Amino acid sequence: MKYFKLPDLGEGLQEAEIVEWHVKAGDTVKADQLVVSVETAKAIVDIPAPYDGVVAKVYGGDGDILHVGEPLMAFEGEGDAGTVVGRLEGGGSSQDDQFFVGAAPSTREHLSARATPAVRQLARQLGVDLNALSGSGSDGLITRADVENASQAERDKFGGEKLRGVRRSMALNMAKSHAEVVPVTIFGDADLHRWGAARDPLIRIGKAMAAACRVEPVLNSWFDGKSLSIKHHEKLDLGIAVDTPDGLFVPVLRDVGNRHAADLKEGLNCLRADVKARSIPPKEMMGATITLSNFGTLFGRYANPIVVLPQVAIIGAGGIRQEPVAMDGQVVIHPILPLSLTFDHRAVTGGEAARFFKALVEELEKPEST
Amino acid sequence: MANDLSTDKPAVDKKVSLLEAVNLAMHRAMSEDENVAVLGEDVGVNGGVFRATQGLRDTFGFKRVIDSPLAETMLGGLVIGMAAQGLKPVVEIQFMGFIYAAMEHLVSHAARMRNRTRGRLSCPMVMRSPMGAGIRAPEHHSESTEAMFAHVPGLRVVIPSSPARAYGLLLAAIDDPDPVIFLEPTRLYRMNPQTLVDDGKRLPLDTCFTLREGSDITLISWGASVHETLQAANALAEHGVSAEVIDVACVKPLDLDTLEASVRKTGRCVIVHEAPRSGGLGGEIAASLYERALLDLQAPIQRVTAPDIPPPLYRLEQLYIPSVEDILHACDTALNYA
Repeated sequence: MKYFKLPDLGEGLQEAEIVEWHVKAGDTVKADQLVVSVETAKAIVDIPAPYDGVVAKVYGGDGDILHVGEPLMAFEGEGDAGTVVGRLEGGGSSQDDQFFVGAAPSTREHLSARATPAVRQLARQLGVDLNALSGSGSDGLITRADVENASQAERDKFGGEKLRGVRRSMALNMAKSHAEVVPVTIFGDADLHRWGAARDPLIRIGKAMAAACRVEPVLNSWFDGKSLSIKHHEKLDLGIAVDTPDGLFVPVLRDVGNRHAADLKEGLNCLRADVKARSIPPKEMMGATITLSNFGTLFGRYANPIVVLPQVAIIGAGGIRQEPVAMDGQVVIHPILPLSLTFDHRAVTGGEAARFFKALVEELEKPEST
Repeated sequence: MANDLSTDKPAVDKKVSLLEAVNLAMHRAMSEDENVAVLGEDVGVNGGVFRATQGLRDTFGFKRVIDSPLAETMLGGLVIGMAAQGLKPVVEIQFMGFIYAAMEHLVSHAARMRNRTRGRLSCPMVMRSPMGAGIRAPEHHSESTEAMFAHVPGLRVVIPSSPARAYGLLLAAIDDPDPVIFLEPTRLYRMNPQTLVDDGKRLPLDTCFTLREGSDITLISWGASVHETLQAANALAEHGVSAEVIDVACVKPLDLDTLEASVRKTGRCVIVHEAPRSGGLGGEIAASLYERALLDLQAPIQRVTAPDIPPPLYRLEQLYIPSVEDILHACDTALNYA
């Protein structure tokens, strides 16, 4: 609305009494049309409309006193928006203003776990979900004891016997390898008919692996998946999987390529005795560059053995059996050694593995050296 | 004088701006309680510099709607006297830059009346003033110095950011037996009008308002910056980030319980205010949240504020006011911290 205020009527008069309104709200008026008669101390004055418009409201009735500058009547339409300085923008987003007094319902419901960083770390190590606990500390703080109790309760729920020592490391190492290594296995057979009667194949397999490593040295490597780096070995230090009632032991037979068979045999017997007596020093079980699992002495033919990090290959030797084979057009019975080569395809190509395997079998199929 | 106020009041089913909501609340308060009086420069005949008091004088007369001289110091003293004698004065200061002349009265008398008289007197006054930049006005019409008042024990400081909160909080401020500094974001005066029911319902003075419920990050703001903060929350939602938006509204005393609960839920927090950074209330809120919710935080609390300068002339105003991009940048830091 626009306001028409009581104008200065001259002669220093500050107020006037309304005598009669000639228009009312809703009337359309023209400029200079008589709208109201007022009486001052001096005279009756007729006040004209200042401009054309529609009367929205008149202020004061007959007999009311108005002061100069006070609203006399209001016109409809956009009025004075105020503000002597600045500009007020209208509009803005048409988003509805909806709000919660105080916190949102989800905030009220939410009760996150509160725990010190040390307790959070402990919970992570023990695999305890903090959000599933209710803290016994002040204001719901989860304490170290709460986490330990929850962990104990979880173990008690499963029951069973806690793994220790070698079995525990087997569980951890195998899971780690399984999670990381990209394993590929090749199967093949070695025909041992040129061998003599005495058949302890382990030393021969070891020597043959050393020969195969000379053909494809990459199989005799360590690989680090984090830095994507490979480390080649000059010597073959053979890890030999030994089954014991306590679990899997892998003592290391050093420098298989350069030592005599008899020397190796003596070393192997020594390691086996140490394992059996549980007196093998830890360093004798570290640093293998390839592993051999001679499971065939127990049972079995082929396998997918697990590559033990950071090695890139493992040989599985199955049980030697008499098998009919075709030779010079005749079916003959030969002793056959089934072999499995599992390699980490991150570090070794299929071609390298196959050439290694071929060299290994060719070496094994030679007559026994004396 | 004509006393029919219905024609000057916006109808209840109409969309109402924040400015009109302030006007409605004063109409309501004056008609409910004859002790409520409005005074200030140009508030009567002129209806106030922004027309917030339009129609009050016609309705309630010049004895209750008083045009004062241009003298804020006098206004500060006058309303304390009126309040001490049982009236409920609502005084308008035309711009926040003019409020400092009344500071001595506010700090030394209004804020301490209850304490100094050992509870025998209180000071039920409201000092209204527009606040903030963004209307192309000079610097002393554009500032946000709410922290100065929040620092004074005994003063309440209230900053609405929507018509509904302006209406409900101003009514509550007028009811309140202690002095309230009621700061109205000028930039929002006419923006985003809302349907408002003029039912006289008060909103609590001691609580935050959760404008948007979320689970990934808490955005805390007040005053005109709530507008940009809500826009930032919309932008985050488009990227699948669920932001909770809280309008602090009552910046003194602070409803830290609500802020703490939200931050404990989300673990991440950005505080947005138009006031300069140093000594701003963002620091106060951040410190309180670190005290209360350190173990739930996933990232350092971020602040988005104006720089430590007076508001610039209007060409540079948009660089001064925290923008949606500024807020999103801070959210990015908080969300990707760890």
